[in-house]
Amino acid sequence: MPRPVDASQPRLAAGCRWGGGDEGKMILFPEGAIRVQGTGRKILERCDGQNTFREIVQELQAHYTASEPAQIRDDVATFLEQLQQKRIVDF
Amino acid sequence: MLPNPLAIIAEITHRCPLHCVYCSNPLQMAGANSELSTEIWLQVFREAGELGVLHLHLTGGEPLARADLGELIAGAHSANLYTNLITSGIGLSESRLAALVDAGLDHIQLSFQDSREDAANWIAGARAHAHKVELARAIRKHRVAFTVNLVVHRQNLDHLEQMISFIEQLQPDRMEIAHAQYYGWALQNRAALIPTREQLDKALTIVAVAETRLAGKIRIDSVVPDYYARYPKACMGGWGRRLMLIDPPGNALPCHAAGVIPGLEFDNVRDQSLGWIWRESAAFRRFRGEEWMPEPCRSCERRTEDFGGCRCQAFLLTGDAMATDPACSLAPAHRIVEAAVLEANLGERTSRKPEIPEPVSASSLRQLQQQTAGFWSYRMNPE
Repeated sequence: MPRPVDASQPRLAAGCRWGGGDEGKMILFPEGAIRVQGTGRKILERCDGQNTFREIVQELQAHYTASEPAQIRDDVATFLEQLQQKRIVDF
Repeated sequence: MLPNPLAIIAEITHRCPLHCVYCSNPLQMAGANSELSTEIWLQVFREAGELGVLHLHLTGGEPLARADLGELIAGAHSANLYTNLITSGIGLSESRLAALVDAGLDHIQLSFQDSREDAANWIAGARAHAHKVELARAIRKHRVAFTVNLVVHRQNLDHLEQMISFIEQLQPDRMEIAHAQYYGWALQNRAALIPTREQLDKALTIVAVAETRLAGKIRIDSVVPDYYARYPKACMGGWGRRLMLIDPPGNALPCHAAGVIPGLEFDNVRDQSLGWIWRESAAFRRFRGEEWMPEPCRSCERRTEDFGGCRCQAFLLTGDAMATDPACSLAPAHRIVEAAVLEANLGERTSRKPEIPEPVSASSLRQLQQQTAGFWSYRMNPE
């Protein structure tokens, strides 16, 4: 079961892209769509194939100072792993 | 307030080089000369984009039969629609594929047929398969999502493991294993298509094992036959709630089998705007909401999940389009489905059933739903 590592550079998988208007931004994929909000959206907007997993996590850790940094890292990894299994994100 | 349709299914032609026994197209098909022109389709796609539609599914017949397919995809793309081509791949050259991707194609769904009587031919059907292997390799060169769709039924289910291994070699992102559903030609041929319970149980196990093995590489979506389910499928995500189908001559239908229901009149995109049809067309309003529902649906707590099941199936099996879908174990007419299942299992050993794990996709889908708001998907399995 692949889990992102520090150097992973997540990006949207082939055939998955942003859609919807600014208010209802969503990720379109072959068999549906996800309206992503809040943290999920923050993470996915950084999944451009350039930012590394480590950079994405650090940015979130800097933003959510009230949360345990290790917990944030774990949550982001789980989120990306699940989307990878759905073939929505590659890393 | 009425939400926007989320997807348009555009049956751009009924022409097809194949003659599948489970074809869902109407028994009376539209000829080439009644098909909508390029210009009208492009207008429909623009209206769809403005209406907030997200996905466009180009299907048929075989959509490749239309010479203007590239133009249609380009038009849909500039209308901000996510475009999906549902094709058998027969007649698709590498250069045409490249042109379609350049036009903005997002997803290609390659389907496998089993139009022959002898299931073993599926494995041995060398020529068509060699072409698909080549085509799959060509598809993988492009940044486009790739799904392989396999329709399974009584005649080929015993080869499911080999079929999955074969598809694996094509390296798609997704594999869809769909049990034939009994409409159109498939209803005519139901006795030959409906699996035995033993076949079905075995297939579920095979799919669950493959899902685990392929996790992270190939996503498997499986669609189970509602005849064996306790509750019906939320057909089309509910009548007039999410999807709109436009047939080759331009009639807008709430689902592709809706033409079988007597008394429904379909508005045509040549005469009315897409937005008007979605809001006002009598056919779309007919079974929208809960007003039409009989008991036991009307007071059933599942009515907001499965919407009473499929109206077309209700009509095809009971003669009454308002009846509770007979696939539902609570339906007054459930015995019709039970009888078909019983017949399918006559002479089979049905005494011992292996314990079947829940399909993995269902639980992982729920996990994702907890993390993301507003997830929706086309594949709504009966339970």
